[in-house]
Amino acid sequence: MNFNGTFTQVIGDLVEQVMPSLVIVRGHRYGAGAGIVWDSNGLILTNNHVVGRHTPVVILQNDGEYESRLIARDPDVDLALLSIEAAGLTPLKPAPVSPRVGEMVFAFGHPWGQRNTVTRGIVSALVSAQNRRGDKLPIVRSDTPLAPGNSGGPLVNAKGEVVGINAMIVGGDQSVSIAASVATDFVRKAISKRAEPVPNDVI
Amino acid sequence: MTQNILVELSDALADAAEKAGKATVLVNARRRMPASGIAYAADLILTADHIVEREDDIKVVLADGTEIPAKVAGRDAGSDLAVLKLERAAAPVAEVSKSAARLGQIALVLGRPSRDGIEASLGTVSAIGGPIRTGRGGMLERYIRTDSISYPGFSGGPLVAADGTVLGVNTSGLANGAAITIPADIAWRTAETLAKHGRIKRGYLGIRSQTVEVSAAAQKALKREQGTGLLIVGVENDSPASQGGFIVGDILVAVAGVPVLHHDELFTRLNGDVAGKSTPIEILRGGQPQTVNVKVGER
Repeated sequence: MNFNGTFTQVIGDLVEQVMPSLVIVRGHRYGAGAGIVWDSNGLILTNNHVVGRHTPVVILQNDGEYESRLIARDPDVDLALLSIEAAGLTPLKPAPVSPRVGEMVFAFGHPWGQRNTVTRGIVSALVSAQNRRGDKLPIVRSDTPLAPGNSGGPLVNAKGEVVGINAMIVGGDQSVSIAASVATDFVRKAISKRAEPVPNDVI
Repeated sequence: MTQNILVELSDALADAAEKAGKATVLVNARRRMPASGIAYAADLILTADHIVEREDDIKVVLADGTEIPAKVAGRDAGSDLAVLKLERAAAPVAEVSKSAARLGQIALVLGRPSRDGIEASLGTVSAIGGPIRTGRGGMLERYIRTDSISYPGFSGGPLVAADGTVLGVNTSGLANGAAITIPADIAWRTAETLAKHGRIKRGYLGIRSQTVEVSAAAQKALKREQGTGLLIVGVENDSPASQGGFIVGDILVAVAGVPVLHHDELFTRLNGDVAGKSTPIEILRGGQPQTVNVKVGER
Protein backbone atom coordinates (compact mmCIF):
# COMPACT_ATOMS: atom_id res chain seq x y z
CA MET A 1 0.00 0.00 0.00
CA ASN A 2 1.38 3.35 -0.97
CA PHE A 3 0.13 5.19 2.09
CA ASN A 4 1.90 8.48 1.38
CA GLY A 5 0.75 8.55 -2.19
CA THR A 6 -2.83 7.78 -1.25
CA PHE A 7 -2.89 10.29 1.59
CA THR A 8 -1.41 13.09 -0.46
CA GLN A 9 -3.85 12.25 -3.21
CA VAL A 10 -6.97 12.46 -1.03
CA ILE A 11 -5.88 15.83 0.30
CA GLY A 12 -5.29 16.96 -3.28
CA ASP A 13 -8.75 15.68 -4.20
CA LEU A 14 -10.29 17.58 -1.31
CA VAL A 15 -8.63 20.82 -2.36
CA GLU A 16 -9.71 20.30 -5.96
CA GLN A 17 -13.27 19.64 -4.81
CA VAL A 18 -13.55 22.74 -2.61
CA MET A 19 -11.44 25.35 -4.41
CA PRO A 20 -13.89 26.12 -7.25
CA SER A 21 -16.35 27.38 -4.63
CA LEU A 22 -13.92 29.85 -3.07
CA VAL A 23 -14.24 33.46 -4.26
CA ILE A 24 -12.63 36.80 -3.47
CA VAL A 25 -14.95 39.44 -2.07
CA ARG A 26 -13.43 42.87 -2.61
CA GLY A 27 -15.02 45.72 -0.78
CA HIS A 28 -14.50 49.20 -2.14
CA ARG A 29 -12.70 50.42 0.91
CA TYR A 30 -11.85 47.63 3.29
CA GLY A 31 -9.57 45.35 1.28
CA ALA A 32 -10.50 41.84 0.33
CA GLY A 33 -11.97 38.87 2.09
CA ALA A 34 -13.18 35.48 1.02
CA GLY A 35 -16.60 34.15 0.11
CA ILE A 36 -18.34 30.87 -0.62
CA VAL A 37 -20.41 29.95 -3.67
CA TRP A 38 -23.64 28.93 -1.91
CA ASP A 39 -25.70 27.95 -4.94
CA SER A 40 -25.06 27.40 -8.62
CA ASN A 41 -27.05 30.50 -9.63
CA GLY A 42 -24.82 33.09 -8.05
CA LEU A 43 -25.57 33.27 -4.32
CA ILE A 44 -22.34 34.15 -2.47
CA LEU A 45 -22.02 33.93 1.31
CA THR A 46 -19.44 36.01 3.14
CA ASN A 47 -18.88 37.89 6.39
CA ASN A 48 -20.85 41.04 7.02
CA HIS A 49 -17.65 42.86 8.00
CA VAL A 50 -16.10 42.04 4.62
CA VAL A 51 -18.93 43.81 2.78
CA GLY A 52 -18.50 47.23 4.33
CA ARG A 53 -20.63 50.14 3.18
CA HIS A 54 -20.90 49.40 -0.55
CA THR A 55 -21.71 46.18 -2.33
CA PRO A 56 -18.44 44.51 -3.19
CA VAL A 57 -16.97 42.97 -6.32
CA VAL A 58 -16.87 39.16 -6.40
CA ILE A 59 -13.99 37.47 -8.22
CA LEU A 60 -14.43 33.82 -9.19
CA GLN A 61 -11.70 31.22 -9.60
CA ASN A 62 -11.74 31.84 -13.39
CA ASP A 63 -10.83 35.50 -12.62
CA GLY A 64 -14.28 36.66 -13.73
CA GLU A 65 -15.20 39.85 -11.85
CA TYR A 66 -18.84 40.52 -10.96
CA GLU A 67 -20.63 43.46 -9.39
CA SER A 68 -22.81 42.02 -6.64
CA ARG A 69 -26.20 42.81 -5.17
CA LEU A 70 -26.68 42.66 -1.42
CA ILE A 71 -29.49 40.23 -0.58
CA ALA A 72 -29.19 40.32 3.20
CA ARG A 73 -26.78 41.17 5.95
CA ASP A 74 -26.77 40.67 9.70
CA PRO A 75 -24.03 42.14 11.89
CA ASP A 76 -25.20 39.99 14.81
CA VAL A 77 -24.10 36.81 13.06
CA ASP A 78 -21.50 38.60 10.91
CA LEU A 79 -22.90 37.15 7.71
CA ALA A 80 -23.93 38.68 4.39
CA LEU A 81 -25.52 37.13 1.33
CA LEU A 82 -24.63 38.53 -2.09
CA SER A 83 -25.92 37.69 -5.51
CA ILE A 84 -24.04 37.86 -8.81
CA GLU A 85 -25.27 37.40 -12.38
CA ALA A 86 -23.69 34.04 -13.02
CA ALA A 87 -24.89 30.49 -13.48
CA GLY A 88 -23.44 26.99 -13.47
CA LEU A 89 -21.27 27.69 -10.44
CA THR A 90 -20.03 24.96 -8.09
CA PRO A 91 -21.54 25.41 -4.63
CA LEU A 92 -20.35 23.88 -1.37
CA LYS A 93 -22.64 21.76 0.78
CA PRO A 94 -23.03 22.49 4.46
CA ALA A 95 -22.27 19.53 6.75
CA PRO A 96 -25.56 17.94 7.84
CA VAL A 97 -24.47 17.65 11.48
CA SER A 98 -22.27 19.75 13.70
CA PRO A 99 -18.59 18.70 13.77
CA ARG A 100 -16.88 16.73 16.53
CA VAL A 101 -13.97 18.00 18.61
CA GLY A 102 -10.80 16.47 17.15
CA GLU A 103 -12.14 16.29 13.60
CA MET A 104 -9.80 17.50 10.85
CA VAL A 105 -10.73 20.78 9.22
CA PHE A 106 -9.34 22.85 6.37
CA ALA A 107 -9.69 26.60 5.96
CA PHE A 108 -9.82 28.07 2.45
CA GLY A 109 -9.18 31.76 1.92
CA HIS A 110 -6.77 34.52 1.03
CA PRO A 111 -4.81 35.26 4.25
CA TRP A 112 -2.83 38.51 3.97
CA GLY A 113 -3.90 38.65 0.32
CA GLN A 114 -2.23 35.32 -0.47
CA ARG A 115 -4.74 33.92 -2.93
CA ASN A 116 -6.31 30.46 -2.59
CA THR A 117 -4.53 29.36 0.55
CA VAL A 118 -5.42 26.18 2.42
CA THR A 119 -4.57 25.74 6.12
CA ARG A 120 -5.16 22.65 8.22
CA GLY A 121 -6.24 22.06 11.79
CA ILE A 122 -8.69 20.23 13.98
CA VAL A 123 -11.88 21.34 15.69
CA SER A 124 -10.69 22.56 19.10
CA ALA A 125 -13.96 23.38 20.79
CA LEU A 126 -17.63 23.87 20.12
CA VAL A 127 -18.64 26.94 22.07
CA SER A 128 -21.12 29.73 21.85
CA ALA A 129 -20.62 33.46 21.82
CA GLN A 130 -23.20 35.98 22.87
CA ASN A 131 -24.07 38.66 20.37
CA ARG A 132 -25.47 42.15 20.95
CA ARG A 133 -29.03 40.85 20.94
CA GLY A 134 -28.08 38.45 23.72
CA ASP A 135 -28.54 35.45 21.43
CA LYS A 136 -26.16 32.54 21.66
CA LEU A 137 -24.19 32.11 18.48
CA PRO A 138 -22.72 28.62 17.94
CA ILE A 139 -19.02 28.88 17.19
CA VAL A 140 -16.48 26.36 15.92
CA ARG A 141 -13.05 27.05 17.39
CA SER A 142 -10.10 25.39 15.70
CA ASP A 143 -6.32 25.34 15.79
CA THR A 144 -6.29 26.15 12.06
CA PRO A 145 -4.09 29.17 11.34
CA LEU A 146 -6.28 32.03 10.05
CA ALA A 147 -5.41 35.60 9.16
CA PRO A 148 -7.20 38.65 7.73
CA GLY A 149 -8.26 37.58 4.23
CA ASN A 150 -9.65 34.30 5.55
CA SER A 151 -12.78 36.16 6.65
CA GLY A 152 -15.86 34.85 4.89
CA GLY A 153 -14.12 31.74 3.60
CA PRO A 154 -15.16 28.19 4.39
CA LEU A 155 -13.92 25.85 7.08
CA VAL A 156 -14.57 22.39 5.63
CA ASN A 157 -14.35 18.87 7.06
CA ALA A 158 -12.49 15.91 5.54
CA LYS A 159 -15.42 15.35 3.18
CA GLY A 160 -15.32 18.92 1.88
CA GLU A 161 -18.55 19.93 3.62
CA VAL A 162 -18.80 23.37 5.20
CA VAL A 163 -18.65 23.22 9.02
CA GLY A 164 -18.04 26.93 9.55
CA ILE A 165 -17.61 30.38 8.05
CA ASN A 166 -14.24 31.80 9.12
CA ALA A 167 -14.67 35.05 10.96
CA MET A 168 -13.64 37.22 13.88
CA ILE A 169 -9.99 36.50 13.52
CA VAL A 170 -8.56 37.45 16.86
CA GLY A 171 -5.06 36.54 15.76
CA GLY A 172 -2.69 34.06 17.29
CA ASP A 173 -4.16 30.88 18.63
CA GLN A 174 -7.86 31.60 18.58
CA SER A 175 -9.34 30.80 15.21
CA VAL A 176 -13.07 31.24 15.20
CA SER A 177 -15.64 30.19 12.63
CA ILE A 178 -19.38 30.72 12.68
CA ALA A 179 -21.11 27.33 12.75
CA ALA A 180 -22.55 26.20 9.41
CA SER A 181 -25.99 25.81 10.99
CA VAL A 182 -26.08 29.58 11.55
CA ALA A 183 -25.22 30.12 7.90
CA THR A 184 -27.94 27.81 6.59
CA ASP A 185 -30.53 29.50 8.85
CA PHE A 186 -29.39 32.91 7.72
CA VAL A 187 -29.53 31.98 4.04
CA ARG A 188 -32.94 30.29 4.39
CA LYS A 189 -34.43 33.38 6.05
CA ALA A 190 -32.81 35.72 3.54
CA ILE A 191 -34.20 33.76 0.60
CA SER A 192 -37.71 33.37 2.03
CA LYS A 193 -37.83 37.09 2.67
CA ARG A 194 -36.79 37.75 -0.89
CA ALA A 195 -39.56 35.43 -2.15
CA GLU A 196 -42.27 37.34 -0.31
CA PRO A 197 -44.44 39.32 -2.69
CA VAL A 198 -43.33 42.91 -2.86
CA PRO A 199 -46.24 45.18 -1.85
CA ASN A 200 -47.60 47.22 -4.72
CA ASP A 201 -46.04 50.60 -4.80
CA VAL A 202 -48.51 53.40 -4.54
CA ILE A 203 -47.88 55.59 -7.46
CA MET B 1 -16.14 8.51 -3.04
CA THR B 2 -17.66 8.88 0.39
CA GLN B 3 -15.01 7.20 2.51
CA ASN B 4 -11.29 7.76 2.18
CA ILE B 5 -8.28 7.63 4.47
CA LEU B 6 -8.52 11.35 5.21
CA VAL B 7 -12.06 10.88 6.50
CA GLU B 8 -10.93 7.79 8.42
CA LEU B 9 -8.05 9.69 10.04
CA SER B 10 -10.37 12.57 10.88
CA ASP B 11 -12.90 10.20 12.46
CA ALA B 12 -10.13 8.43 14.38
CA LEU B 13 -8.90 11.73 15.83
CA ALA B 14 -12.42 12.69 16.87
CA ASP B 15 -12.84 9.21 18.41
CA ALA B 16 -9.56 9.65 20.31
CA ALA B 17 -10.68 13.05 21.62
CA GLU B 18 -14.00 11.57 22.68
CA LYS B 19 -12.45 8.54 24.40
CA ALA B 20 -9.76 10.43 26.32
CA GLY B 21 -12.16 13.34 26.84
CA LYS B 22 -14.35 11.17 29.06
CA ALA B 23 -11.49 10.88 31.56
CA THR B 24 -10.48 14.56 31.24
CA VAL B 25 -12.06 16.70 33.92
CA LEU B 26 -12.37 20.35 34.84
CA VAL B 27 -10.50 21.34 38.00
CA ASN B 28 -11.66 24.49 39.71
CA ALA B 29 -9.07 25.30 42.36
CA ARG B 30 -8.01 28.84 41.54
CA ARG B 31 -9.52 32.25 41.16
CA ARG B 32 -8.77 32.61 37.46
CA MET B 33 -10.27 30.32 34.86
CA PRO B 34 -10.41 26.63 35.79
CA ALA B 35 -7.86 24.16 34.42
CA SER B 36 -7.89 20.45 33.60
CA GLY B 37 -7.18 17.09 35.20
CA ILE B 38 -7.08 13.38 34.37
CA ALA B 39 -9.02 10.66 36.18
CA TYR B 40 -6.22 8.42 37.36
CA ALA B 41 -8.65 6.30 39.38
CA ALA B 42 -12.41 6.55 39.81
CA ASP B 43 -11.90 8.72 42.88
CA LEU B 44 -8.47 10.25 42.12
CA ILE B 45 -7.69 13.12 39.76
CA LEU B 46 -4.16 13.81 38.58
CA THR B 47 -3.54 17.46 37.75
CA ALA B 48 -0.83 20.12 37.68
CA ASP B 49 0.22 21.39 41.10
CA HIS B 50 0.44 25.03 40.01
CA ILE B 51 -3.26 25.23 39.15
CA VAL B 52 -4.23 24.18 42.69
CA GLU B 53 -4.10 27.60 44.32
CA ARG B 54 -6.39 26.78 47.20
CA GLU B 55 -6.92 23.62 49.21
CA ASP B 56 -10.49 24.37 50.28
CA ASP B 57 -13.54 24.42 48.09
CA ILE B 58 -12.01 22.49 45.19
CA LYS B 59 -14.56 21.44 42.59
CA VAL B 60 -14.09 18.86 39.85
CA VAL B 61 -16.49 18.68 36.91
CA LEU B 62 -16.65 15.36 35.08
CA ALA B 63 -17.25 14.95 31.34
CA ASP B 64 -20.97 14.32 31.95
CA GLY B 65 -21.26 17.62 33.81
CA THR B 66 -21.40 16.16 37.33
CA GLU B 67 -19.73 18.45 39.85
CA ILE B 68 -17.94 16.70 42.73
CA PRO B 69 -16.10 18.35 45.64
CA ALA B 70 -12.48 17.25 46.03
CA LYS B 71 -9.63 17.49 48.52
CA VAL B 72 -5.87 17.52 47.96
CA ALA B 73 -4.55 13.98 48.53
CA GLY B 74 -1.00 14.92 47.74
CA ARG B 75 1.00 17.52 45.89
CA ASP B 76 4.55 18.20 44.81
CA ALA B 77 5.66 21.57 43.52
CA GLY B 78 8.97 20.19 42.21
CA SER B 79 7.31 17.92 39.68
CA ASP B 80 4.24 20.18 39.33
CA LEU B 81 1.87 17.31 40.01
CA ALA B 82 -1.03 17.04 42.43
CA VAL B 83 -3.55 14.33 43.20
CA LEU B 84 -7.08 15.27 44.22
CA LYS B 85 -9.42 12.89 46.00
CA LEU B 86 -13.05 13.06 44.93
CA GLU B 87 -15.80 12.89 47.51
CA ARG B 88 -17.15 9.87 45.65
CA ALA B 89 -15.71 7.54 43.04
CA ALA B 90 -17.48 8.48 39.83
CA ALA B 91 -14.89 9.36 37.19
CA PRO B 92 -14.29 7.22 34.08
CA VAL B 93 -10.62 6.26 34.35
CA ALA B 94 -8.06 7.21 31.68
CA GLU B 95 -6.29 4.49 29.73
CA VAL B 96 -2.53 4.90 29.70
CA SER B 97 -0.69 4.26 26.44
CA LYS B 98 1.19 0.96 26.42
CA SER B 99 4.12 2.48 24.58
CA ALA B 100 5.99 5.69 25.30
CA ALA B 101 5.66 8.73 23.04
CA ARG B 102 7.76 8.62 19.88
CA LEU B 103 9.31 11.54 18.04
CA GLY B 104 7.12 12.47 15.08
CA GLN B 105 4.02 10.74 16.41
CA ILE B 106 0.79 12.73 16.01
CA ALA B 107 -0.88 13.55 19.28
CA LEU B 108 -3.83 15.52 20.62
CA VAL B 109 -3.63 17.93 23.51
CA LEU B 110 -6.88 17.90 25.47
CA GLY B 111 -8.29 20.19 28.11
CA ARG B 112 -11.57 20.95 29.82
CA PRO B 113 -11.27 24.53 31.03
CA SER B 114 -14.99 25.23 30.69
CA ARG B 115 -18.31 23.46 30.98
CA ASP B 116 -18.81 23.93 27.23
CA GLY B 117 -17.13 20.60 26.51
CA ILE B 118 -13.81 19.03 25.72
CA GLU B 119 -11.22 21.13 23.87
CA ALA B 120 -8.39 19.86 21.70
CA SER B 121 -5.50 20.81 19.48
CA LEU B 122 -3.37 18.65 17.22
CA GLY B 123 0.36 18.41 16.94
CA THR B 124 3.27 16.07 16.63
CA VAL B 125 5.73 14.98 19.27
CA SER B 126 8.58 17.33 18.38
CA ALA B 127 11.11 16.56 21.10
CA ILE B 128 11.74 14.12 23.91
CA GLY B 129 14.37 15.35 26.31
CA GLY B 130 15.62 15.48 29.87
CA PRO B 131 16.63 15.36 32.57
CA ILE B 132 15.90 19.02 33.25
CA ARG B 133 15.66 21.05 36.39
CA THR B 134 12.10 22.23 36.60
CA GLY B 135 12.62 25.70 37.96
CA ARG B 136 10.37 24.70 40.85
CA GLY B 137 13.11 22.89 42.74
CA GLY B 138 12.53 19.55 41.10
CA MET B 139 14.08 17.40 38.45
CA LEU B 140 12.19 15.88 35.55
CA GLU B 141 13.88 12.76 34.18
CA ARG B 142 12.16 13.03 30.81
CA TYR B 143 9.80 15.43 29.12
CA ILE B 144 7.83 15.50 25.88
CA ARG B 145 7.44 18.62 23.77
CA THR B 146 4.84 18.97 21.02
CA ASP B 147 4.11 21.63 18.42
CA SER B 148 0.43 21.79 19.36
CA ILE B 149 -1.31 24.83 20.80
CA SER B 150 -1.98 24.79 24.52
CA TYR B 151 -5.04 26.90 25.18
CA PRO B 152 -5.53 28.64 28.52
CA GLY B 153 -6.66 26.13 31.16
CA PHE B 154 -5.05 23.14 29.44
CA SER B 155 -2.57 22.50 32.29
CA GLY B 156 -3.30 19.18 33.98
CA GLY B 157 -4.90 17.72 30.85
CA PRO B 158 -3.61 14.76 28.86
CA LEU B 159 -1.44 14.37 25.78
CA VAL B 160 -3.29 11.71 23.81
CA ALA B 161 -2.15 9.25 21.15
CA ALA B 162 -4.24 8.69 18.02
CA ASP B 163 -5.86 5.66 19.70
CA GLY B 164 -7.16 7.77 22.60
CA THR B 165 -4.66 6.50 25.18
CA VAL B 166 -2.77 8.91 27.43
CA LEU B 167 0.89 9.68 26.72
CA GLY B 168 1.41 12.21 29.48
CA VAL B 169 0.24 15.18 31.52
CA ASN B 170 0.52 18.69 30.04
CA THR B 171 1.66 21.63 32.09
CA SER B 172 2.84 25.16 31.52
CA GLY B 173 4.20 25.29 35.06
CA LEU B 174 7.59 23.66 34.61
CA ALA B 175 9.39 25.43 31.78
CA ASN B 176 8.87 29.19 32.22
CA GLY B 177 5.31 29.09 30.94
CA ALA B 178 6.04 26.98 27.86
CA ALA B 179 3.86 23.89 27.66
CA ILE B 180 5.62 20.57 28.13
CA THR B 181 4.32 17.11 28.86
CA ILE B 182 5.30 14.90 31.80
CA PRO B 183 5.48 11.35 30.38
CA ALA B 184 2.69 9.09 31.66
CA ASP B 185 4.99 6.54 33.34
CA ILE B 186 6.65 9.27 35.43
CA ALA B 187 3.36 11.02 36.15
CA TRP B 188 1.55 7.84 37.19
CA ARG B 189 4.46 6.74 39.39
CA THR B 190 4.51 10.15 41.05
CA ALA B 191 0.74 10.08 41.42
CA GLU B 192 0.90 6.76 43.23
CA THR B 193 3.40 8.15 45.72
CA LEU B 194 1.35 11.31 46.18
CA ALA B 195 -1.86 9.37 46.73
CA LYS B 196 -0.14 7.16 49.29
CA HIS B 197 2.18 9.54 51.13
CA GLY B 198 0.88 12.99 50.25
CA ARG B 199 4.29 14.23 49.14
CA ILE B 200 7.46 13.28 47.31
CA LYS B 201 10.46 12.46 49.43
CA ARG B 202 13.77 13.87 48.26
CA GLY B 203 17.18 12.77 49.45
CA TYR B 204 19.68 15.19 50.98
CA LEU B 205 23.43 14.89 51.57
CA GLY B 206 24.57 18.34 52.69
CA ILE B 207 27.44 18.89 50.27
CA ARG B 208 28.44 21.61 47.88
CA SER B 209 30.25 20.38 44.82
CA GLN B 210 31.49 21.24 41.38
CA THR B 211 32.02 19.13 38.30
CA VAL B 212 35.65 18.18 37.68
CA GLU B 213 37.49 15.87 35.31
CA VAL B 214 38.39 12.43 36.53
CA SER B 215 42.03 11.72 35.68
CA ALA B 216 42.98 8.79 33.49
CA ALA B 217 44.76 7.13 36.42
CA ALA B 218 41.68 7.49 38.61
CA GLN B 219 39.47 6.09 35.86
CA LYS B 220 41.78 3.12 35.69
CA ALA B 221 41.45 2.65 39.44
CA LEU B 222 37.66 2.90 39.08
CA LYS B 223 37.84 0.22 36.38
CA ARG B 224 35.48 2.21 34.14
CA GLU B 225 35.45 5.16 31.79
CA GLN B 226 34.00 8.15 33.59
CA GLY B 227 35.02 11.58 32.34
CA THR B 228 33.72 13.65 35.24
CA GLY B 229 32.70 13.51 38.88
CA LEU B 230 31.68 15.96 41.59
CA LEU B 231 34.47 17.56 43.63
CA ILE B 232 33.20 18.20 47.14
CA VAL B 233 34.01 21.80 48.04
CA GLY B 234 31.92 22.05 51.20
CA VAL B 235 30.35 19.73 53.78
CA GLU B 236 27.64 21.08 56.07
CA ASN B 237 28.05 20.44 59.78
CA ASP B 238 25.93 17.61 61.16
CA SER B 239 24.73 16.74 57.69
CA PRO B 240 24.38 13.16 56.42
CA ALA B 241 27.59 13.75 54.43
CA SER B 242 29.63 14.85 57.46
CA GLN B 243 28.27 11.97 59.51
CA GLY B 244 29.24 9.64 56.67
CA GLY B 245 32.81 10.97 56.87
CA PHE B 246 32.95 13.00 53.64
CA ILE B 247 35.72 15.55 53.52
CA VAL B 248 36.40 18.48 51.22
CA GLY B 249 38.50 17.28 48.31
CA ASP B 250 36.69 13.96 47.84
CA ILE B 251 35.29 13.41 44.36
CA LEU B 252 31.83 11.83 44.33
CA VAL B 253 31.59 9.41 41.38
CA ALA B 254 28.61 7.11 42.03
CA VAL B 255 25.46 6.74 44.13
CA ALA B 256 24.02 3.29 44.82
CA GLY B 257 26.18 1.80 42.07
CA VAL B 258 25.14 4.30 39.38
CA PRO B 259 27.89 6.63 38.07
CA VAL B 260 27.23 10.33 38.70
CA LEU B 261 28.86 12.70 36.22
CA HIS B 262 26.98 15.97 36.81
CA HIS B 263 24.93 17.79 39.44
CA ASP B 264 21.70 16.97 37.64
CA GLU B 265 22.47 13.28 37.87
CA LEU B 266 23.16 13.53 41.59
CA PHE B 267 19.82 15.30 41.94
CA THR B 268 18.07 12.49 40.05
CA ARG B 269 19.83 9.81 42.12
CA LEU B 270 18.88 11.40 45.45
CA ASN B 271 15.23 10.47 45.00
CA GLY B 272 12.62 8.99 47.31
CA ASP B 273 14.15 5.52 46.91
CA VAL B 274 17.30 6.43 48.83
CA ALA B 275 15.91 9.10 51.16
CA GLY B 276 16.23 7.98 54.80
CA LYS B 277 18.22 4.88 53.82
CA SER B 278 21.82 3.85 54.18
CA THR B 279 23.18 4.17 50.64
CA PRO B 280 26.60 3.25 49.23
CA ILE B 281 28.28 6.31 47.73
CA GLU B 282 31.49 5.92 45.79
CA ILE B 283 34.15 8.59 46.07
CA LEU B 284 37.72 9.15 44.94
CA ARG B 285 40.00 10.08 47.82
CA GLY B 286 43.65 10.68 46.96
CA GLY B 287 42.94 9.16 43.55
CA GLN B 288 41.71 5.89 45.06
CA PRO B 289 38.10 4.68 44.91
CA GLN B 290 36.37 4.14 48.19
CA THR B 291 32.77 3.35 49.06
CA VAL B 292 31.15 5.11 51.99
CA ASN B 293 27.76 4.14 53.37
CA VAL B 294 25.76 7.26 54.10
CA LYS B 295 22.34 7.47 55.67
CA VAL B 296 20.81 9.86 53.15
CA GLY B 297 18.73 12.60 54.74
CA GLU B 298 15.15 13.35 53.87
CA ARG B 299 13.62 16.64 52.80
